[in-house]
Amino acid sequence: MRDIAFRQQFLTTLLLMPLTFLLWYAAGPALTYPATIVAGLALEGWLPSIVAEVFTEGTEFYVVTHFADINGSVVAANQADHDIAFKLNTRLVSYGVPFYAALLWSSRVDSLVGRFCLGLFVLWGLMAFGLVAMAAKDLMLVIGDPFLTLGSVPPMPIIGLAYQTSVLLIPSLAPVMIWLFQLRDTPLWRQLADQLESSRSSE
Amino acid sequence: MSKFLIIFIAALSVLFTVELLIPVQTHVIQPFTTGLATVSAAIITPFDENVISSGRVLRDAAGGFAVSIESGCNGVEATIVLLAGVLAFPASLRQKLIAIGLGFVAIQALNIARIISLFYLGQWNYTIFEWFHLYLWPVLIMLDVLIVFALYLRWLATRDASSVEQASGHA
Repeated sequence: MRDIAFRQQFLTTLLLMPLTFLLWYAAGPALTYPATIVAGLALEGWLPSIVAEVFTEGTEFYVVTHFADINGSVVAANQADHDIAFKLNTRLVSYGVPFYAALLWSSRVDSLVGRFCLGLFVLWGLMAFGLVAMAAKDLMLVIGDPFLTLGSVPPMPIIGLAYQTSVLLIPSLAPVMIWLFQLRDTPLWRQLADQLESSRSSE
Repeated sequence: MSKFLIIFIAALSVLFTVELLIPVQTHVIQPFTTGLATVSAAIITPFDENVISSGRVLRDAAGGFAVSIESGCNGVEATIVLLAGVLAFPASLRQKLIAIGLGFVAIQALNIARIISLFYLGQWNYTIFEWFHLYLWPVLIMLDVLIVFALYLRWLATRDASSVEQASGHA
């Protein structure tokens, strides 16, 4: 019985993934909109002397700075006729949504919509963090000192770590963690918890 | 369960940070990634003699298309997630080592399939290559980790059950 449930879970997840990825693609910026709003507010509030404007076009998130580039040197934007801006692909931090949807929709749990909304809410927070980390990495590499010497900016290794975590780990791992957490009332989860207890007591 | 989560997140953070250290990248990750390119080329060559590997790059000598295996494409992050999960879950050292060894093979087998598929998808259609590279394959690799970990838990449960049966049989 347990074997069937196990296979069913993962096979259904695999079968649902084309559909959820298609829906995610069709939804375009709608699924990332709250995250881009939060990321924009965070960047403008955190770095008012660096970030002039943030805006979204489709699934691209733009960060416009107060700086420009003249012959390879970073100068204040008012000394030039252009600004340095970064274009960030929001799909890089949002592709966990269709994965999470496939995992959850293939599980035998009640109130699927409520759980999905809750999970999506958490994912939006992580996406916003990811967008801020991506912007911080670009600011570190392109703007350099004017950004890095600000008191509120963490050291370079922390920015690098936040970027790598946000792009390489969180989009694929966070859906699994949220899904597992949301299974906690199910027989499968209780069985796992019992196994943990028995393993611990036999150690 | 909370103890499992704390150990898992702590192990994940430590291992991921260690992986990003420059000496680890230079002496472990980059040679390993070069090895992946070599193995991928060795698998393809019997079917496609135009494929050559050079360092971390897999190249089609005829068409000129090439893929470079970078961080995030070498399966190391996925292995770290599995490692953290196995370390956090109570089991004997032998059981953990078996899980890590077999899990590593399972993840890297799928990862080589990823590299080879991306090499040919890129020559066929760049948009589809981008889709698979950036969005689909990372998720499939994480699903592989999840399946390996779930199989490991089932194996532990089976062994526990047979140990209990043996003990009651002896009694």
